[in-house]
Amino acid sequence: MVGIDRRLLQNVDWLLLAATMLVLAISAVTLSSLSVGRAGGGGLAVRQLAWVGVGGLALLVIASIDYRRLVRMAPLFYVLGLAGLVTVFVLGRTVSGARRWILLGPISVQPSELFKIVFVLMVAWWLSSRWAQSLGRVTVSLVLPIIAVPFVLIVKQPDLGTALLLFPVTVALLVGAGVRFRLLGALALAGLAALPLAWFAMKDYQRERIMVYLDPFRDPLGSAYNVIQAKIAIGSGQLLGKGIAGATQSRLAFLPERHTDFIFAVFAEMWGFVGCLVLLVCYVVLLLRGFDIAAAAREPVGRLVALGATALLASQVLINVGMVTGLLPVVGVPLPLMSYGGSSMLVSLVALGLLLSVRMRQFQ
Amino acid sequence: MSTGLLGRRPSPDHHEAGRHRVFAVAAVVLAAFLVVIGQLWYLQVLEGGRFLDASDKNRIRIRPVAAPRGILYDRHGVPLVDNRPAFTLSLIPRELERAAERRSATLGRVAALLGIPYADLEEAVARVSADSFVPVRVRRGLTLEDVAKIEERKLELPGVIVEVEPQRTYPSSRFAAHLLGYVREASDDQLKHGKYRRGDMVGQTGLERLLDEYLRGRDGGERIEVDAMGRPVRLVQQTEPHPGAEVVTTIDRRVQEAAEQALDGRAGAIVVMDPRNGDVLAMASAPAFPIDRFTGTIDRDAWLAVVRDPDFPMLNRALQSQYAPGSVFKIVVTAAGLQEGTLTPLDRIHCGGEFHLGAWTFKDWKEGGHGAVDLHRAVVQSCNIFFYQAGLKVGGAAITKYASAFGFGHVTGMELGNEKPGFLPHPKIRRGRQVWQGGEVVNMSIGQGAVLVTPMQVARFMAAVANGGVLWKPRLVQRVQSAERGTLYSDPGQVTGHVELSPVVWAFLKQSLWSVVNDGGTGAAARIPGLDVAGKTGTAQMIANSKASRGEDHAWFAAFAPAKDPEVVVVVLIERGGKGGQVAAPIARKILNAIFFERVAAIEING
Repeated sequence: MVGIDRRLLQNVDWLLLAATMLVLAISAVTLSSLSVGRAGGGGLAVRQLAWVGVGGLALLVIASIDYRRLVRMAPLFYVLGLAGLVTVFVLGRTVSGARRWILLGPISVQPSELFKIVFVLMVAWWLSSRWAQSLGRVTVSLVLPIIAVPFVLIVKQPDLGTALLLFPVTVALLVGAGVRFRLLGALALAGLAALPLAWFAMKDYQRERIMVYLDPFRDPLGSAYNVIQAKIAIGSGQLLGKGIAGATQSRLAFLPERHTDFIFAVFAEMWGFVGCLVLLVCYVVLLLRGFDIAAAAREPVGRLVALGATALLASQVLINVGMVTGLLPVVGVPLPLMSYGGSSMLVSLVALGLLLSVRMRQFQ
Repeated sequence: MSTGLLGRRPSPDHHEAGRHRVFAVAAVVLAAFLVVIGQLWYLQVLEGGRFLDASDKNRIRIRPVAAPRGILYDRHGVPLVDNRPAFTLSLIPRELERAAERRSATLGRVAALLGIPYADLEEAVARVSADSFVPVRVRRGLTLEDVAKIEERKLELPGVIVEVEPQRTYPSSRFAAHLLGYVREASDDQLKHGKYRRGDMVGQTGLERLLDEYLRGRDGGERIEVDAMGRPVRLVQQTEPHPGAEVVTTIDRRVQEAAEQALDGRAGAIVVMDPRNGDVLAMASAPAFPIDRFTGTIDRDAWLAVVRDPDFPMLNRALQSQYAPGSVFKIVVTAAGLQEGTLTPLDRIHCGGEFHLGAWTFKDWKEGGHGAVDLHRAVVQSCNIFFYQAGLKVGGAAITKYASAFGFGHVTGMELGNEKPGFLPHPKIRRGRQVWQGGEVVNMSIGQGAVLVTPMQVARFMAAVANGGVLWKPRLVQRVQSAERGTLYSDPGQVTGHVELSPVVWAFLKQSLWSVVNDGGTGAAARIPGLDVAGKTGTAQMIANSKASRGEDHAWFAAFAPAKDPEVVVVVLIERGGKGGQVAAPIARKILNAIFFERVAAIEING
């Protein structure tokens, strides 16, 4: 039931919340520093804070609901989520070649973002269901359709980053559910074998991104521009950063997507290696709390939900920072709690809400 | 154990296994974070400096501001060449459209608007990196009309700009072209030496080349911070250009103009020199090339047309072209003979118009001859027959000894480039002894045969006759000075030799040369009432002398004035002009007139 009693409040994970607040504060500062000295500046940070408010409310609501109720309803959410993904194709708004958004009144919502949470709940539901008690080959294989249908729908938007994100989350949940490592190994091999097929399924611009990843200087002013400019921004921050005023890569707009996917490069340019360490430590603390919650959960559902939510956040952080620093090819994955974007902020805070929900009920 | 979906209670073992599984996932995540931190360490700490440079290169554009070239002045402070602001069309490769067909469209529009060959634009852009922000100068000297055409369509022509640069401007199209020399963008060859950057204006010939280092000055520059769209955000740093130094030459612009006017486009050269110090007051060569177009805009075809012109307008005939001196050389023979005692003023012959040496017959220029002539008359009337015999008496060795002392066969050392040394014949060596062939000596005595001289050498020689034997190195530049650094270079004049003749000989020479002009001599056409002009005519036969090339002799006249206290030497050479006395002497007269009388007139009018 919705409602918070004192026992629940005693188990709130304050460290988790503190790390979250710190990252949110860093995000607000970074976003507003991008517009310092510019006409109409500050708007982004304010809008981002509004989304933090909405997300915070959602966090409280989710935390106050027993996660087991949510997992029980997962199949329903899943069907609704799929319906949302299909709706994008019918009513979606096209932004720079991708149909990802649906307009709901004054705001645009990204169903693929919200679907991430639904997906965690759905896989947790399946792996803890009575049909999955044995965790044999068949059970595990049946995860495949759960992931395949939304994957295809999201890839077709196209939003490769979000679609790919489903894989590490699934793997983490399979590990957490206790699937034998031999079976996981077999799955991994099958996945590797399927990679060449993926190449043929990719769109041209996606292949180009892979090529650029392998050779950043093949087209410095074209497809490789983002990667090179991001590296220049990050590298030029050096140990202590160039400060807000000196961050020319970010402030003179050499860096593209600097409010959203490449916000880490902005931060790195302004605050250098030391600043990056502080930010990454915040994320590590946050994630370790998440893993701790999963480990401390007294029953599998709680463990899977907490692990899934943590894995979701961890994959996004690592893929985003990996792509911005040139370790990974460019796929559009926002940095949780940092990147500007309402849906992404909402999803990250809901994931934290799930973690808190599990934590508060670990002794029940 | 309940049977509900979510009601299961796992065993403690099961719980423990689940914890381990979570730790495994956490370990993988932590390892991934370590990799990311390692990458940040590499980018920010190990390679940070390199990326900082790259970020500065991104945002800073350096825009050169051309320094105005130094001005060249004449001896009275009148500019020989000046600067004016000129408009230059430039392309900035990095700001041109990136898509090939759209860039072609831009270049095509520019080509159509200004009537520039499209291929030139393509070529100019192709030569440099497409990533470069340094403007590539495509066409200099745009008209205001052209500038308006480009500026009006500025927004449709990204990467196309109009720059303002100082450019040379001249009193007239061909004014002192060989003397000053033209200025052009550094050639690929010059760029190889590393002294210049692409687009630098470099003196290519004449004084502009000789003094390029002084004249260039130091370009200034602006460091501008721009955003990703190339829009200037702020001026980071500005360095003022340092203008080139001023050059004070020895040229007298009025005399130079008079000389060029007197030449009137006929192929030839004029040198006006001050015998007291070697100052070159004028140095003209015709035909001349259009110096204003060479410095400004000249298309390839027009340029090739000038360079391949059979009349060689690029050639500075005063220095770079050598001719037989003709009868002007008789002065050398006279001086040598009198000084060595092989000739005396009392020597007298009968000139019948022909002279026989072995099987050869040498003719006088005057049919029927001059009758009875002594040395003085022989010089005054330029009697060849007398000098054939005189030459044999003086001997080849003595003639070349004195000719050499007067500077023939040696460059004057003016450093204007490609100066010719002329030529003096050598004796043949037989059984270890020097033997002069009679025919050779006879020809040399009247300045024919193998003897070759340049007009500048003749001027130096005449100056020595006028000043009593001092050989000056012709001086063109008095000093180079800059407002900031004072005098950078000065030339006090340089004596390169002395010709020792007894005063009687000098007096005889001067007297004879005065008579050439004023006492029934061949130079009567140079006579000016009220001015004692002394001089010598010369008519140099072309080497392939035949009936067909008659009237194609080079006409010489070398003069100085006033005869008593000489202030100027004027040497006129007209290629294929005819007789020196008829063609060259009147030109020398015009110039002397301009020097001695029009100046006074001008002062009276102005004063």
